[in-house]
Amino acid sequence: MEQSNKMTKKELVWNICITFAYLSGATAISCLLFFVAGDTANVGIVYMMAVVFISRFSNGYVPGVIASFISVICVNLIFTYPFMHLNFTLEGYPITFIALMLISSLTSATTSHLKEQNRIINEREKMLMEAEKETMRANLLRAVSHDLRTPLTGIIGASSSYLEDENPLSNEEKSRLVNEIREDANWLLNMVENLLSVTRIRNTKAQVSKSLEPFEEVVSEAVQRFHKRMPDAKVQVTVPDELVMVPMDATLIEQVIINLLENAACHSNTTAPIQITISTQGSYARLDIRDYGDGISPERLHSLFDGHATSSDHCCDTKKGMGIGLSICKTIITAHNGSITAFNMNQGALFTFTLPLGENSCE
Amino acid sequence: MNKRNKFTIILIEDEKNILSFIKRVLERHDYKVITANTGNEGISLINSSCPDVILLDLGLPDMDGTDLIKSVRSWTSIPIIVISARTQEFEKVSTLDLGADDYITKPFGTNELLARIRTALRHGKQTVRTSDGTVVQVPYHCQGLSIDFTKRLITLNGNPIHLTQIEYKLVSLLAENSGKVLTYDFIINRIWGPYADSNNQILRVNMAHIRRKMEENPGEPFYIFTEIGVGYRMRESEN
Repeated sequence: MEQSNKMTKKELVWNICITFAYLSGATAISCLLFFVAGDTANVGIVYMMAVVFISRFSNGYVPGVIASFISVICVNLIFTYPFMHLNFTLEGYPITFIALMLISSLTSATTSHLKEQNRIINEREKMLMEAEKETMRANLLRAVSHDLRTPLTGIIGASSSYLEDENPLSNEEKSRLVNEIREDANWLLNMVENLLSVTRIRNTKAQVSKSLEPFEEVVSEAVQRFHKRMPDAKVQVTVPDELVMVPMDATLIEQVIINLLENAACHSNTTAPIQITISTQGSYARLDIRDYGDGISPERLHSLFDGHATSSDHCCDTKKGMGIGLSICKTIITAHNGSITAFNMNQGALFTFTLPLGENSCE
Repeated sequence: MNKRNKFTIILIEDEKNILSFIKRVLERHDYKVITANTGNEGISLINSSCPDVILLDLGLPDMDGTDLIKSVRSWTSIPIIVISARTQEFEKVSTLDLGADDYITKPFGTNELLARIRTALRHGKQTVRTSDGTVVQVPYHCQGLSIDFTKRLITLNGNPIHLTQIEYKLVSLLAENSGKVLTYDFIINRIWGPYADSNNQILRVNMAHIRRKMEENPGEPFYIFTEIGVGYRMRESEN
């Protein structure tokens, strides 16, 4: 209640200010016309204009009506004979008065109607956006729960066969089972971290909180974390001589790099090192991740970042869900006002993303 | 033989599986482990047994881990290593600011955990008595990199590295605390003084220069690691 009271008080002051400002402006112009040019015919028009502006820029009907009332009195008092005396018996006066009143009321009504309509349109747009977000969320949840079930099944199966198998397992079999459990658990961990990234974007209304970070530090930490999980994969990082500072949410960009590295390591079917190159390109920082493997199948290339599950028939491993990883990459980069693309090269694939460097991109 | 002087570690963690996993690892590496499931139990155990290291999980059922740090820090400087499942870096920074010595993020490997504990046990500058009787700081040594703090000399594979005054200060500060994370604010305070601008950009730029002089490939640092949003950590000295 307090809040709304304050609001009306603020509005009241605003209305009074507006009314006063336009009326004094109109009086000044009329004085100029009257005393310099000796023109009386346009005085009424000038006041009418003031009334229209007041109705347009103030809230509600009242200011316009009051303004028209004051205008009528002003015209009568200052600009019509007898000067500096009120005389309402002048010929045609009631018509002027009523006309001014009508004009102001109509203008006020039209403008407030327009404002109301604008508000409704805005609200509807907001609701649509909300609904869109909701569907995105639902789709993601569906895809995720499907993807989580696969490794969990693996973990439960492997651990039960470890514990319950009647024939004693050989050491080799034991270590194979435990290894599988670890692999699946690590994969789950990556999934969870991806989901956390998504909530990080949600929390701040699809805008990320950026701070200036050295690009190379973010890349090297991502590579380090990637190595923890895939110690066998080789990565080569090339950085430019000068330090590149980029405004970004480092945790999210790290996730993007890890996802792209993982994608390259899992789906390229090669042990050739993955190359990461940092560079600048105009007002953008650019990162290339290049692998020398099989490349991306052409039918997938156009929908790579859309988050659709891959067709499992020609998957190098049973771990689907990289589709989600890539779509999360896209979401994160888009939230940074950057772009992400994928190409097939002569040999292997090239993923590139760019992030704006300049301050103008900062919120 | 069993009654050897073992280091005592208090482990405060409410998650049973994690508790037993950490306990097993530490006992296998010859630490004496005392466990607590709640914060209050932990505080009374710390008071009664004066451990060498405290391993503390932040999400406890009965109290916030940060409150426990505050209460322990009010009377002792026993190293505290925070185990945190939270990924938000400002929470890590705030526990470090409250007096925790280091943190480790779930999930972690056993090697990582053991390294953190070793580092915590070896707190403070280490000194050694030389042949002529003077006491000097133990030099930093790791793979090809050596830092002689008395001569202020840094060598990589035998070749001296030329750093500016600030760069040397930075590297030696990290090396003196090798293995431990140092927050941006802590480093800026120590190098540029308490009235320095808290904007850490100057630190990041200096670090980029150091990496270009010290690391074989600044894109894949081997000696000084970044903990994004928190600070820097130098590879543990081999001494």
